[in-house]
Amino acid sequence: MNTPLINTVLSLLFIVISGFLFTEVPTPFLVILAGLSFLNLFLGKFYKKLNGLVANILAAVSLIALFVLVGVSDTVKLFVSMMLLASNFKLLQAKTVKQYQTVCLLVFFNLSTVYLFHQGLFETLVVSVLYIVNFAVLGYLTSPQSFKAANKQSFKTILLALPIAAFLILFLPKIPAFWQLPGPKLAKTGLSEQVNPFSIAKLAESDDLVFRVEQQPGQAIQAPYYWRSLIHDEFNGSDWLISDILKSQQFNPIRRTITQSNSVNYQVIAEPSSSSWLFALGFAHSTNSDVHATYNGLLKRKGNLNKNIKYAVISSEATLSLNGFEKRLYTRLPKTTNPQTTALAKELAAKHENAQGYFNALLNYFNQQQFAYTLTPTPMYGDNTLDQFVFDTKRGFCGHYASTAAFMFRVAGYPARVVSGYLGGEQTKAATLNIYQYDAHAWVEVFFDQKWHIFDATAVVAPERLNGSLSQLGDLNESFNDNLNFGLKRWSHFKAINWLRIQLEELDYKWTNWVLTFDQESQQSLFDSLFGNKSAWLTPLVVLGTLLLSFTGYFLYSKRPVRSSDPLVDDITKLYQWAKKQGHSPLDTNTPLQNIALIKQQIPSSKPYLNEFEQIIVEVRYQQQSYTQNRKNRVRVLLNSLKTAK
Amino acid sequence: MNSTIQLIIDDLSTVIFGKQQQIKLSLTCLFSEGHLLIEDLPGMGKTTLSHALAAVLGLSYQRIQFTSDLLPSDILGTNIFDAKEHSFSFHQGPVFSQVVLGDEINRAGPKTQSALLEAMEEKQVTVDSVKHALPSPFFVIATQNPVHQSGTYPLPESQLDRFFMRISLGFPDKHAEKNLILGLNNRNYDDLPVRINPEQLTVIQKEINTVTISNAVVDYILELVAYTRQDNHFVNPLSPRASIALARAAKSWAYIEGRDFVMPEDVQAVFPSVTDHRLGLNAGDSGYALKHVPVSL
Repeated sequence: MNTPLINTVLSLLFIVISGFLFTEVPTPFLVILAGLSFLNLFLGKFYKKLNGLVANILAAVSLIALFVLVGVSDTVKLFVSMMLLASNFKLLQAKTVKQYQTVCLLVFFNLSTVYLFHQGLFETLVVSVLYIVNFAVLGYLTSPQSFKAANKQSFKTILLALPIAAFLILFLPKIPAFWQLPGPKLAKTGLSEQVNPFSIAKLAESDDLVFRVEQQPGQAIQAPYYWRSLIHDEFNGSDWLISDILKSQQFNPIRRTITQSNSVNYQVIAEPSSSSWLFALGFAHSTNSDVHATYNGLLKRKGNLNKNIKYAVISSEATLSLNGFEKRLYTRLPKTTNPQTTALAKELAAKHENAQGYFNALLNYFNQQQFAYTLTPTPMYGDNTLDQFVFDTKRGFCGHYASTAAFMFRVAGYPARVVSGYLGGEQTKAATLNIYQYDAHAWVEVFFDQKWHIFDATAVVAPERLNGSLSQLGDLNESFNDNLNFGLKRWSHFKAINWLRIQLEELDYKWTNWVLTFDQESQQSLFDSLFGNKSAWLTPLVVLGTLLLSFTGYFLYSKRPVRSSDPLVDDITKLYQWAKKQGHSPLDTNTPLQNIALIKQQIPSSKPYLNEFEQIIVEVRYQQQSYTQNRKNRVRVLLNSLKTAK
Repeated sequence: MNSTIQLIIDDLSTVIFGKQQQIKLSLTCLFSEGHLLIEDLPGMGKTTLSHALAAVLGLSYQRIQFTSDLLPSDILGTNIFDAKEHSFSFHQGPVFSQVVLGDEINRAGPKTQSALLEAMEEKQVTVDSVKHALPSPFFVIATQNPVHQSGTYPLPESQLDRFFMRISLGFPDKHAEKNLILGLNNRNYDDLPVRINPEQLTVIQKEINTVTISNAVVDYILELVAYTRQDNHFVNPLSPRASIALARAAKSWAYIEGRDFVMPEDVQAVFPSVTDHRLGLNAGDSGYALKHVPVSL
C-alpha cells in the first residue's frame, strides 16, 4: 500500500470539499479544516502519525471551535462541518487498509453534502471527478494496480453506471420523501426585509445568478423588467421596513377582486436562496401548487428556497382601490425627520395639485438638480440621511432615490411604498433572461388613478439602466467591474471570454432546467407523453423490463471472453476455437506447440499452415521478436486458409 | 542438437542402455553447475552412470562409498603430525576432486552427510578452522537407495534442496536388459573417449547463461511454482531457490537441444527432476502439477 499517495489524495479531496463550503462556513473554521488537511499531507509524506494525546487535544480544541464558530442554530451546517472535521481526524489516525477504507467511505458522505449547498453544473462536474478519484483510491487500496490505472478503471465503471443512473432518475417513480432534512440556511447576499440604501449597493458586488426567466413563444415581456420581490411600507427615519400589518397580509393571501388586463405568461427558475420570496413582474399569481400570491401580487413559497425551483407566472396590471386604512398605512411617516426634504416635498406639492403633476415634478427635480447614479455612494450618518442625500451629496444608488422619493410622496399625502427586487436581466438566448445579484434594485410604487405607478428616479438619473442589466450600463462599467468579485463576468469585455461565459451560462441553464427541476410533475408529464393513458401500468413494466434487460446485458458482458492485451495470444485462441469446432479440443496444460502438434496429427490438411504458425509463435513468444504487422497479417492469412482448407 | 553434446550422449549410451533421457538430464544438471542425486534400487546402474559421466567430462574423479561408520574426516581429509617438520600438515580427503561420486550417500550418518553437503554448498572445506578451497569445477554426484531400505539415513529436506536435480534410472526395457546380459555394453569406463576438457565445460556454462528466457516462459515457471504453494497440494512447496533452478535447468536443456531460447517444453522436461526431491515426492510424481497448470500462451 502506497500510504503517502493515498494520504495525499485523500487530504486533497478534503481540501476541495472544504473549498465548497467557502461561502457557508465561517472562514476561521475553514482555516482549521484546511490546517488539518495540510497536516495530513505533511505527516503522510513522512509516514508519520500524530501522537494520540496531541490528536485528542487537537480534536477537543477543534470541536470547541466548531460550536463557537459555526454555532448550533443551523443544524445542517453544523452537521456537515462536524462530519468534515471528524473525517479529517479519521484520516489523521488511519494506518491500516481498513481504516483508509473507512475514510474513503466518509469522503463519499462528505461529497454528497456538497449538493446540500450547490447544485450547479460546475459543482456537479467537480464532485463527479472527486467521486472517480475516491473510487480509485478505494480500488487502489486493495489491488496492486497503479493509481493511474485505478482512476481509469473507476472512470470506466462510473461511465458504465451513468446510463442506469439517468434511467433511474427519469423513470423510477418519484415518491415524496417520508423524512425531510431541514434545508440549510444559506447565508447568501440577497434582498432583505429592511431596505437600507447601502445594503443594495453591496449586492452589486456579487455576480451570483438569482433566477432565470423563460419567456413563452409570442409572449415576449417588455422592458423595463421590474421584478418585484418585497414591499416595504414602513419608514423608521432611516430604513424602509415591512410592517407587521403587511406581513400578516402576506402570510394570509386574500383573494381580492382585481381587473386584469394585458396578462403575460412566463416561467421562472429560481436559484436557492435564504428566503421564501420569489420574483415576478407586476401583479402576479402562479399555477404552481407550492407558490402562492400575496395580497399585493407578490409571489411567495411556503418554506425557504433550498433548491432550484421552476414556477409558472401570470403577470398583469391590476386596477384596484385603496380603503382608508390602506391609505393611512401608505402615508405614515415618523413625526420629525428630514426637515429639509419635508419642506422641499411640501413646496413641490403646493405647486402641483394632482398626483401625476407631483410625480412629474419629482422626476424633473431629480433630473435637473444634477443627481448622479453611483455604485460607491458617499456614506451618510446621523438622523437626517435623506436631507444629506438630497441637498448635499446628490450621488446615490437606487436605494437612495427610492427611499427619498417614497418619503417625499408620503409627505405630500400620496400613498407610496418602496419595492425591492431586481431590475433588468441579461438576454442569453432568444427567450431567456438571466438575472444576477448585481441587478438588485429598489424603486417606489405610488398610488393614484386606481393603480400603483412605478416611480424610479433611476429612469431620469441613469436612463440606460432600465433597458437591460446593470452590467451593460456603459457609464458604470468600470466601477461595476471593480466592484465585482472575481468571476468571468469581470472579464466580459474580452470577446472570447464573454462568449465562453455565455456558453457556460447556457449549459448551466440547460442543466438546471433539465435535471434539477425534474420533479414528480415533470415525470408524470413525461410518462403521459410516452405512454398516454396507459402510463399507470405500462410505466412500471417498462422500468422493470429495462432494468432486467440491462442487468442481463451486464451479466453477459461480464462473462464475455476477455481479449488479452497480446494480439498473438488472441490469434492462438482463435486457432484453438477453430480446432474445437472441428471436434478436437486442445488442452490448456499443453504448450501451444504441443497442441499444434496434436491438431496437425488429427487434421493432416492443416499441417502446412500450422508449421508456419508454429514458427511465428516460437519467434514471437520465445525468441522475443515483435509481433509485427507482417507477422499479424501472415497469421490472419494462415487462419483463414485453415478454415477454407479441406 | 549440439554435436559435441550428442557425441557425449552417444558415448554414455554405450554404457547405460536405453536411458537417453536420464543421460540428458544428468548433463543438464552438470552444465547448470548443480549437484546431481541419482536415486534408485541397488543394481540399476547408478554408480555406472556416475562413473561414465565423470570419465566423459574428462575431470579428476574420486569415489566415496558411504557406509554407516564413515567419518567426516574420511571425506574431507585430516591434519597429521609430521614428526620431521614438527608441525601438522593437511592431508586432503577424496572430496578434493573435480567430480566426487558419493555412492549410497544415505547409508552414512547425518554428520558425515552434512560434511559433504557443506562442501557442495561452499565449494570449500574447513578443517581445524582452516579453510581449504575445492577444485573447480566441482560436482558432486550422489547416489541414494530408496529411503524405505534398511540401514539408510534419509537426507533432510534442507539438504535435499542443495541437490540441483534428482533423477531415477528405472528398470531397463527388455531389449536393453538382454543386451546387458549378453555383455554388449561398454563396462570399461576408462575406454570412453574424453569429449570435453574443463575449459570447454566453462565455455558451455557461459553460453548457457546467454540463453534467453521469455516472459511467457517465466510466467509459466511462476505458475507452476505457485501451484505447489496453494491448497496444500504438496507438503513442501517450492522455494525461490527451486524456481531459479528450474529456469536454469530449462536453459541448459534448451542448450542441449541446440537452441538459444527456452520454450515451455524445456520447463516441462526438467520440472520433475528439479522439483520432485524438493517437494518430497517419488520420482515423476510432480507430473501431477504439469497436468494441472495451464501453459501461459
